[in-house]
Amino acid sequence: MKSKKALGIFSHNLLIAVLCVIWLIPIVWLLCMSFSSSPSMNTSTFFPKEWSLTFYQKLFQPDTVNQFPMWFMNTFKIAVATCIISTCFVLMVAYATSFGKFKARKPLMNVAVILNLFPGVLTMIAVYFTLRTFGLTNSHIGLTLVYSASSGLGYLICKGFFDTVPRALCEAARLDGCSEARIFAQIIIPTSKPIIVYTIINSFLAPWMDFVYAKMILNAGISEKYTVAVGLYKMLDKSLINNYFTIFCCGGILVSIPIAVLFFIMQKFYVEGITAGAVKG
Amino acid sequence: MTAIKNGVAGFFAALGSFFGSFFNAIARGDAFVKLSLIIWGAGYFKRKQYVKALLMTLLEVGVILFSVFFAMQYVPKFGTLGTVQMEQVLNMQTMQMEFNDFDNSFLILLFSLFSFVVWAVAIVVWMRNVVNAYALQQAAEAGEHINSFKEDLRTFIGEKFHVTLLSLPVLGIVVFTVVPILLLIFVAFTNYDQQHMPPNALFTWVGLNNFKSLFSSGGMTVTFGYAFVRVLGWTLVWSFFATLTTYFGGILMSLLLNSKKTRVPKLWRLLLVITIAVPQFVSLLLVRNFFSNGGIVNTICANIGLTGFLRDVGLISTSYIPFLTAPGWAHVMIILINIWIGVPYQMLIATGVLMNLPTDQLESARVDGANKFQTFRYITMPYLLQVTAPTLVTDFVKNINNFNVIYLLTDGVYTTTNQLMANSQAKEVDLLVTWLFNLTQNYYNYKMAAVIGIMVFIVCAVFTLIAFNFVIGGDKEGTYQ
Repeated sequence: MKSKKALGIFSHNLLIAVLCVIWLIPIVWLLCMSFSSSPSMNTSTFFPKEWSLTFYQKLFQPDTVNQFPMWFMNTFKIAVATCIISTCFVLMVAYATSFGKFKARKPLMNVAVILNLFPGVLTMIAVYFTLRTFGLTNSHIGLTLVYSASSGLGYLICKGFFDTVPRALCEAARLDGCSEARIFAQIIIPTSKPIIVYTIINSFLAPWMDFVYAKMILNAGISEKYTVAVGLYKMLDKSLINNYFTIFCCGGILVSIPIAVLFFIMQKFYVEGITAGAVKG
Repeated sequence: MTAIKNGVAGFFAALGSFFGSFFNAIARGDAFVKLSLIIWGAGYFKRKQYVKALLMTLLEVGVILFSVFFAMQYVPKFGTLGTVQMEQVLNMQTMQMEFNDFDNSFLILLFSLFSFVVWAVAIVVWMRNVVNAYALQQAAEAGEHINSFKEDLRTFIGEKFHVTLLSLPVLGIVVFTVVPILLLIFVAFTNYDQQHMPPNALFTWVGLNNFKSLFSSGGMTVTFGYAFVRVLGWTLVWSFFATLTTYFGGILMSLLLNSKKTRVPKLWRLLLVITIAVPQFVSLLLVRNFFSNGGIVNTICANIGLTGFLRDVGLISTSYIPFLTAPGWAHVMIILINIWIGVPYQMLIATGVLMNLPTDQLESARVDGANKFQTFRYITMPYLLQVTAPTLVTDFVKNINNFNVIYLLTDGVYTTTNQLMANSQAKEVDLLVTWLFNLTQNYYNYKMAAVIGIMVFIVCAVFTLIAFNFVIGGDKEGTYQ
């Protein structure tokens, strides 16, 4: 009986292990390829024939195609700017819709639902026209605006959190003659750390993870202005892939590490935030 | 459908009361209230709110200046979208070729639209202004306290704090979401495409022609109807399978990991989540090369004889397995690769839900003598499904617009052999959104992209409305406060 139970536990964990291996094969391959000593893709064996760090060095020696250090800085700048604007917007909208008692509250929220139905790519095209009119395509300001200007629409998860904050807290402060602005800044914000961390990481990660908007806005520009996503994508162009595949893998690994770390930090909040949002509709 | 009905009814009721109070203010207001119809600051001036009066009047002057000097350049041409083609003419004075004073259809459309938005806001402000002036009159007549300018300012961190909070985000949304959507809807009724690209050429209104060509498929040249039906079909099939596979895959995986038998569950979870922690433009581009025609998977399949076997069976006619380059194969592969990307994400959500499982129910079930399977069947599963079911619909809509997976896996790799599809720049594996993206990025066919965009919106809206009314079942906001 005991051995049967042990066998059950073993096979259960073996199944999970097999699943994990399947899930990790491509990632392991990425890692292996990045240590390859030839610039093109190795199609005959899973592991590279020779291991080397050559292409990690090459990644930091910019040429006409590869501008990785530059791309990294570009993305970082855009991400910081986006993060600041988006976090403020999301918190402001979430607070106003959760705590505010004004007539237009419900209608505004309904409008937001409808606006969220238009796929991002769709509005993107018209935004692209508009930005082009003002000469903001192929510029980082334009891309930052695209990421952050409409971020107020993503307020629902944050509002879900604010909805659970006890109202008695505010009532007490109001009786003490506290203004709404002070309630927001000195009572609600300090008690909402988890959701603020979540919002900050989330809006910081968006420009790192995004591909579509960056491609659309920066496509026609010069290599130096690209973000990591667009730059790495261009490396896999049919005419370049034979010379740049290994560098792509190195870049992929290096950009994934900080993102993955932040992602794991966020994961805890992420699960809570999403399920909270799901429960509250 | 009650939620929508209430929404619509509420909207018109609010609109009605707004107009009501406006006309009431005009009818009963004194001379200064009536005067503030023409000079915005008049009502405030009478009540000694001089700064506010000045600001409102300045705002009025601003709107008038905007209308005369800016809007008038564009709005009169809105009906035709411009008539003067760009030409080079010889300037007799300088003896050089110069451009004439040509019309730019796109700028006319954009700035007209912008003017309409400004005017709409101005009209609301104008009406509100009269209502406010009347309210001030009433307060003055009743001998109530009239706010000084400082006190008025203070309300913006007090009872009107929401206005302070919302103004900037709403401005961002209006400029970067609302105006673009309106612009796009207008473009759908024009002939804005590669032959009509401003500033070199003009485009103009064509009524419903673009919609007609989307729904008709005559001959070899006009194939948008043919392509649309197929692309829409694949979009729906893809969304259906992508949503269901990842949803149930995620639930199964989280149950597997949360089982008591699992050793080191945190490590396993970490390993699985690495897949989604890597940005999609890295992981998907990599997988696309992993499965490419001359890629590593094909080499392995050839070595173990799978390729030869499939050729003998007649499933492939090439010397490699066309994982991402042939219809059918590509469709299946895309859904499989999406499972790889999507299941860990759903697993995280399901895990979060499982952790919040009400323990008192489990406890009472145990006391009542339910075995493990019964607990799972009658408590865990229903709870999990009930909490996560609404996400099924939102995920379905998200998958309709799942640009990344399709674009990163197939762009530049998959080429269609179907001439009818190729004529309208579509591929068998395209979703509506990737088709739309290609039409604008590579073919400058903005008019058809706009029409397809409207179709995407309609599809998404239909599914979301169904979701709101049947799954989520109205507004639960109040119950959590």
